[in-house]
Amino acid sequence: MFKFLKVLVRNILQGPATEAFPLKPAPTPDRFRGRVTINPDLCVGCGICRHVCTAGAINITPSDDKKGYHYTVWYNSCCLCSSCRYYCPTNAISIVNDWHTSHVQGDKFKMAEHHYIPYVACEGCGAPIRVLPAHIAAKIYVNSPIDVSKIIRLCPSCRQIATAERQGELHESKPE
Amino acid sequence: METKQLNETKSFSLPLGPIHVALEEPMYFKLDLEGEKVKHVDVTSGHVHRGMELIATKRNFFQNVVLTERVCSLCSNSHPLTYCLAVENLAGIEVTRRAQALRILAEEIKRVASHLFNVAILAHIIGYKSLFMHVMEVREIMQDVKETIYGNRMNIGANCIGGVKYSINNELLDFAEKSINRTEGHIKEIIDIYATDKMLLKRTTNVGSISAEDVIKFGLVGPVARGSNVAIDTRRDAPYLLYNELDFDVITETGCDVHARAMVRLRETIESIKIIKQLIHNIPEEGELAVLLPHIPAGEAMARSEAPRGELFYYVHTDGTDMPLRLKWRVPSYNNWDALSVMMKDCEVADVSLIVNSIDPCVSCTER
Repeated sequence: MFKFLKVLVRNILQGPATEAFPLKPAPTPDRFRGRVTINPDLCVGCGICRHVCTAGAINITPSDDKKGYHYTVWYNSCCLCSSCRYYCPTNAISIVNDWHTSHVQGDKFKMAEHHYIPYVACEGCGAPIRVLPAHIAAKIYVNSPIDVSKIIRLCPSCRQIATAERQGELHESKPE
Repeated sequence: METKQLNETKSFSLPLGPIHVALEEPMYFKLDLEGEKVKHVDVTSGHVHRGMELIATKRNFFQNVVLTERVCSLCSNSHPLTYCLAVENLAGIEVTRRAQALRILAEEIKRVASHLFNVAILAHIIGYKSLFMHVMEVREIMQDVKETIYGNRMNIGANCIGGVKYSINNELLDFAEKSINRTEGHIKEIIDIYATDKMLLKRTTNVGSISAEDVIKFGLVGPVARGSNVAIDTRRDAPYLLYNELDFDVITETGCDVHARAMVRLRETIESIKIIKQLIHNIPEEGELAVLLPHIPAGEAMARSEAPRGELFYYVHTDGTDMPLRLKWRVPSYNNWDALSVMMKDCEVADVSLIVNSIDPCVSCTER
């Protein structure tokens, strides 16, 4: 009993162990998983995030005019497992440490990350595509002499042809 | 007249639960009493059955990592870890040493927090609220470690098929080391209090006894078995990950009672801290953290690991599609709560919740 009294006195002298939130901000670590955010510039609409999302919080729907797609993450469904962030090939998804998602009942349908992500026309054939993010292109063509800035705006089949042509040129111009 | 009738009624049955028996988890006991003594116990469960094994067959392998993490919050790292081990056994995936070390780190941090929680609840049940608060405050250090390294206090989301989802840097390792050193000092103090405090000893020794023979007969696992001097530990008996390279002891106590089981848990946290300390300075720098989106072939496989409550077993059966045909897990509490009838034989009514807590029941795991 006396051993514990010693601890007790020490704890009293230390003062409260709890945070004063909401009177003061609560300290939050950088890695804290609070809310999902999307960088629409990097999203290529591959849908792997939707495939691994256990909670079914991610919705990807083509727009009515087929010129883009709507990307939605519902905060209330999201269980913050970070699978989407982990499997996203372009790092378009991140989880920020802002956990202040409390809201009034009337706002419940606004509690989502929503983006309209438009397609751009392929510079070769005009087909609707998403631009290949430069850092991914740099990874794919890491040991290649091909200039990635010229091919990221092409659709996969045009890119294939362009790459083959460029490689052919390089091969021909090579001194014997 | 009425008082006389009550006095004459010596044996009666008492319903206990399903709410707030030990933890805030539902479990229903029908106790047949004679005076204050418990003569017979009937355990009824199933209040939190969520059909998770069926849900698992409707989700793909990657979604199931997250689903199994939500089986139970206290062993929320052991479930996805063992599930991933089973799937990796099936697909023949080799996990790099770096990823294995990080998996052990997550597992042992969770174990410290889980054990401290259980011994804190013991103090809470016997009415020693200030000790309860103190142990929970010490546990809070480990919660902060989880929050800082993994981003969440309970569902740390460390595992994925083929490795781990998180990376670690020196800054975080330093923070973890400082925190576990602080925790270790506190835990040693707590062990001393639990071993010598007269009030605590009076309430917990010779309560809920179970002999080593009964432990083997009932197939008990984890700290419950080790509290009765049966040294079983999956980490040592069937090593997985890098456990066979690490130096740690299997803690046993000979008391066979509630107090012995609490002491096993407390001393095990020191062993876990020992493991964490060995790892912090020896995490291999090289190696991929995980295999991205592997294909899972048809077949069946199993895996087992030592969860904070004892041996956890996973079985997976697939037909080559991206969803399992069957995912089955057996949790340690399933073995352990069967022995409650032995432990509670002839105990006082007031000790029932104490004995229930001493097996560290995880009701949501068991009923899933």
